[in-house]
Amino acid sequence: MVGHEEPRDGGEQISQGSGMPVVVLSCQVLQDLLARLLPDGVTREVQFLDYGLHRVPAKMTLTLQEKLDGIEEPSLVVLGYGLCGNGLRGLRAGVHTLLVPRVDDCISLLLGSRSAYLREFEAVPGTYYLSKGWLESGSHPLKEYHEYVPKYGEKEAIWIMDQQYQHYERLVMVAHTEEDLEIYRPQALEVAGFCERWGMRYEERLGSDAYVRNLVELVERAAREGTAALNGTSKDFLVIPPGGEIQQEAFMR
Amino acid sequence: MSRVYERLSTAILEGDAEKAPKLVEKGLAEGLVPKDILDNGLVPGMNEVGVRFRAGDMFVPEVLMSADAMQASLVVLRPQLVASGAKLIGKIVVGTVKGDLHDIGKNLVGMMCEGAGFEVIDLGFNVDPEKFVTAIKQHQPDIIGMSALLTTTMRAMAQTIKALEEAGVRDQVKIMVGGAPVDAPFAERIGADGYGSNGPAGADLAKKFVGAA
Repeated sequence: MVGHEEPRDGGEQISQGSGMPVVVLSCQVLQDLLARLLPDGVTREVQFLDYGLHRVPAKMTLTLQEKLDGIEEPSLVVLGYGLCGNGLRGLRAGVHTLLVPRVDDCISLLLGSRSAYLREFEAVPGTYYLSKGWLESGSHPLKEYHEYVPKYGEKEAIWIMDQQYQHYERLVMVAHTEEDLEIYRPQALEVAGFCERWGMRYEERLGSDAYVRNLVELVERAAREGTAALNGTSKDFLVIPPGGEIQQEAFMR
Repeated sequence: MSRVYERLSTAILEGDAEKAPKLVEKGLAEGLVPKDILDNGLVPGMNEVGVRFRAGDMFVPEVLMSADAMQASLVVLRPQLVASGAKLIGKIVVGTVKGDLHDIGKNLVGMMCEGAGFEVIDLGFNVDPEKFVTAIKQHQPDIIGMSALLTTTMRAMAQTIKALEEAGVRDQVKIMVGGAPVDAPFAERIGADGYGSNGPAGADLAKKFVGAA
């Protein structure tokens, strides 16, 4: 688990005044985007949590709930997650206000909008996405295969992989700059080479940080003006007031 | 109760595709009733797999191996089930909904239903709502079983039910849904008749629908 706590007295304390402390709990897969866009001094604490939580959504809920309950002072807690296979369902805000991107998973966040994701989804539903964050701290078929071989033996590992991925058609690498594409292309191509066994083709997309940028703007506004400023601001985000709970239906649109 | 049942359950749980069918043969040689081998040996093993998978104590590779062991056991057992006079108890059409190409769960439900005595018509994955409509008209099934792995694609279950309603065939079938993001409240909300939390639970529900449980 990677985490770092920003010094409480460091930087500009924008959270003073009418706003409230801002705490970010996010998946490591979004670390790069968030760390780049979140301005110094807005957040009291930023924690990036292991991607491995995704393997069991029920455990993801428990871990996040523990983290939430561990924050003492009533805060605006920004969750750097989507619904994530129901991993966020049932999370209770407690004394805090929760701010969550209204997306199923991080693909919309990486591509920049829900409509960009839907375009890709409708074109080729069987798409596996890669990004810098996924390559560095997430998972992908080649990594899974390497994990399976010592556990189950090569023949069995390949059989397991085939069962899971045989119907996928496309691997898409999403990066936010040409430079990142250049840097991560070799790794992505290595995964793509492995995925060829299922006839998957490789494509690249320059994503957009627009969605995460909007999130950061909202956070800054709430830090300045208080959480009331969040109400009715955007259909792209969910605001869960103190005492509330995250519902699956809220993500359906 | 024969010790074979317990050992068979364990072989299924451990995903031992070599041992499990041998144990079925052993049970048959001992004179056990084929249906009892299914109900007391194979099904409890798969039930436990389902429970452990939900709890995060078992992962997809292990589930796949258990399913493989189950399949290998059914290959041996099915002819005996038929020979012992087990009749088809109903007909079910299964498919993974539009936009979703994950079929491990759907295949599991299909296999468990087949084991339980259903005729299973498998429409595959990424199945258009219209294809479910056509299948009802063509096959006259008792039940439709829909699966989805993603929250993104579970919405297609609601769209499929709507398509069945519009085509006027909704009331000819019972509808059951399942898959990782699906639960009973969701099933109710979209107007399905029931929810199965895993393969064996799906088969149990199907049996209830046709009055065979």
